[in-house]
Amino acid sequence: MTRIQTTHTGSLIRPPALRPFLAAAERGEPYDHAAFEAVLRTEVKEIVRQQAEAGIDYVNDGELGKISWITYLYERVSGIETRVTPFDGASMLQIAPPSLDRVKYGDEAVYSEVWRFADFWTEDYSVSGDGIQWVCTGAVNYDRSIADAQLAILREAVDAVDVVGAFVTAVSPASLYWVTNEHYPTEQEFIFAVADALHTEYRAIVDAGFLLQVDDAVMWHKLATIKMLGGGFDDYRAWAELRVEAINRALAGIPADRVRYHICSSSGHGPHTVDPGLNEILPFVLSVNAGAYLVEQANARHEHEWTVWQDIKLPDDKILVPGLITHHTPVVEHPELVAQRIRRIANVVGWDRVIGGADCGFAQAATTVRVPLWTQWAKFRALAEGAALASTSPTQA
Amino acid sequence: MTKIRTTHAGSLIRPAELTPYLEAIEEGLPYDEAAFEPKLAAAVAGVVKHQADTGLDVIDDGEYGKASWITYFYDRVSGMEKREVPLDANNTLPAGLDREAFAEYYEGHDDVQSSEVTKASDDLAHGEHAAGTESMGTGWQWVCTSPLTYDPAAVHRDIASFKRALADADVTEGFLPVVAPASAFWLANEYYDSDDDFVFALADALHTEYKLIVDAGLYLQVDDAVLWHQFGTMRLRGKSAADYRAWAEVRVAALNRALAGIPADRVRYHVCCGSWHGAHAFDPELREVIDLVLRVNAGYYLFEQATPRHEHEWVMWKDIKLADDKVLVPGVVTHHTPVVEHPELVAQRLVRMAEIVGPERVMGGTDCGFAQNSLTKRVPEWTQWAKLESLVEGARLASERV
Repeated sequence: MTRIQTTHTGSLIRPPALRPFLAAAERGEPYDHAAFEAVLRTEVKEIVRQQAEAGIDYVNDGELGKISWITYLYERVSGIETRVTPFDGASMLQIAPPSLDRVKYGDEAVYSEVWRFADFWTEDYSVSGDGIQWVCTGAVNYDRSIADAQLAILREAVDAVDVVGAFVTAVSPASLYWVTNEHYPTEQEFIFAVADALHTEYRAIVDAGFLLQVDDAVMWHKLATIKMLGGGFDDYRAWAELRVEAINRALAGIPADRVRYHICSSSGHGPHTVDPGLNEILPFVLSVNAGAYLVEQANARHEHEWTVWQDIKLPDDKILVPGLITHHTPVVEHPELVAQRIRRIANVVGWDRVIGGADCGFAQAATTVRVPLWTQWAKFRALAEGAALASTSPTQA
Repeated sequence: MTKIRTTHAGSLIRPAELTPYLEAIEEGLPYDEAAFEPKLAAAVAGVVKHQADTGLDVIDDGEYGKASWITYFYDRVSGMEKREVPLDANNTLPAGLDREAFAEYYEGHDDVQSSEVTKASDDLAHGEHAAGTESMGTGWQWVCTSPLTYDPAAVHRDIASFKRALADADVTEGFLPVVAPASAFWLANEYYDSDDDFVFALADALHTEYKLIVDAGLYLQVDDAVLWHQFGTMRLRGKSAADYRAWAEVRVAALNRALAGIPADRVRYHVCCGSWHGAHAFDPELREVIDLVLRVNAGYYLFEQATPRHEHEWVMWKDIKLADDKVLVPGVVTHHTPVVEHPELVAQRLVRMAEIVGPERVMGGTDCGFAQNSLTKRVPEWTQWAKLESLVEGARLASERV
């Protein structure tokens, strides 16, 4: 019997005590790092314990120390200037990537009832209420101090529980977003400079004994954005090849089996009807030097894509981590559904090659709550139960 | 090639021009019937054409003439008295273990719902019905205080406007949804000697409505969101499976009495486990109630199978003996996510069902309606239509494969 292990994508709903610190970090304002770390230590310990209790095998710190999966980086590097601007309308719509979905269905399409309910709970999570622009105005260099402090906090928390392993998320150079380059002469030089800065972070994570997870919400969706702006697949290929090169440059010297690469076609609660197919972008994804790939496969737009793996072979030394639970519905997945999803993908790529995961995070930023907190944990329990069911009953009853 | 046909569960998002009237009807306030009826007829014509253009095979009037799928009926029978009661969690949605386990979630959920009700009241207050708007935080309960008798005026109106719209759109197959005796909710009996007598009296009143719809050449769809979920409610209250069965058997018998003399092949029976956006982590399994469902004298059974709580249940049909003349209409798109199902996913879901029961015995459907009452929008309106387009395209793909 192969026991199917479980993990998730990383971001978890932030406890309220962290908000004031994260708000200051987001605005580039000073805050009491020692006080922040004390609160973070307590909260990370608790969230790691909760993951272990839910039956998750590979846990993380819930990204509790980060304002968002993308912008956390800007506090850790030199050369990036934070410009606070009034946020008119305080709307996610202003910061989501351009997409045909919004052209076709209108902005209101993201205001589904599900979203409104999520809004209700996020009311108190408004961190700064301002819009922020980041501009690169000098050489990008990485300062390890925040990363090292947070890695130590996670180490302490993980040592207190019985789990298989732990991972730490970091942004992909392809997912540089909301940053304007005013310093480097070319786009390529800018991206490679960021990749070199990220290399320090990636290395720190792996050296601390954790799995590194590189998060990329842009690699996949970018094809739709480029097409919408009138470009073709060749334009995407040129864009993507440069990003893959940058990611692999950031990963240089890091053993692939210590690296997970997570892609999603953006986590917003919209129709997603113009999401590119996984098959269209998979060759680029598989050229990232990672040992495991995390992909959405539990939401209604991508659930059918388990069949993609019948046509595109997962290389022998790679692990697939399909989303088996999703943040895109408040309904909690039935464990038997999780088990069915495992069986069909494991029968394609091999039972020893699958780890159960989630489509995406549950709180991409400290201001975001994709499902209610209680639902997040119920989904984790369903994931663990479903994996146990599939492990003990590998064929459909 | 067998064409796998498509339909949906019935309720569609109401156009804004109808909601003030529907809210007035729901609130029991006077409204301008002469102004409402042409607006309703035009809106029904529009939604029928939209469904036909989308490529759906069996369509309805979107329940546009109804304020809600349950309470529309209370306005059509005499013998009911409407009483204002304070709104709380116990009289908005049925009790269930989900509500206990996710209490804080439902607190937020219920607040959003009652703020919607409040907003509707405000709209009314500033619109045509400034007088008589009730205070905030209350809802209605209906109480049966004298013999139930059915007034067919509203159903005649709905049938007429729907048939005209079908003819104009050149569509032959239409259905009209009605409530099941088991789903009479927010309703108390103070007149009949026993609950059983009351349920059968309801069934007799419903029989008139059911028969008028079928006699008009339309399919009858009986909507039941309570039969299945009630098992969860009763378990929460410490009742046994036997207690539930006793409760349910009376309702199934009452429904079959309401269906007496109506050919089963004109009847669709829709069950869901409550359409609200909750965790649904304690929904009973369909397997636990399916024998009761199949005892209803219908030719078509519609049930949720696209929500992640019930998607796995397709495998159950490998074990269920289904009579040769029955058709299954699983939900292959759901109102429970704003993400639009990929047509390929719809095709996968239909093909696996067709492989079990045969392609001629499967139709593509939706988990539940998109607007159980006149203010509810389970997904944005654009998303509703995109999901129905996906359903049609997915059924076309599946038809090529079975």
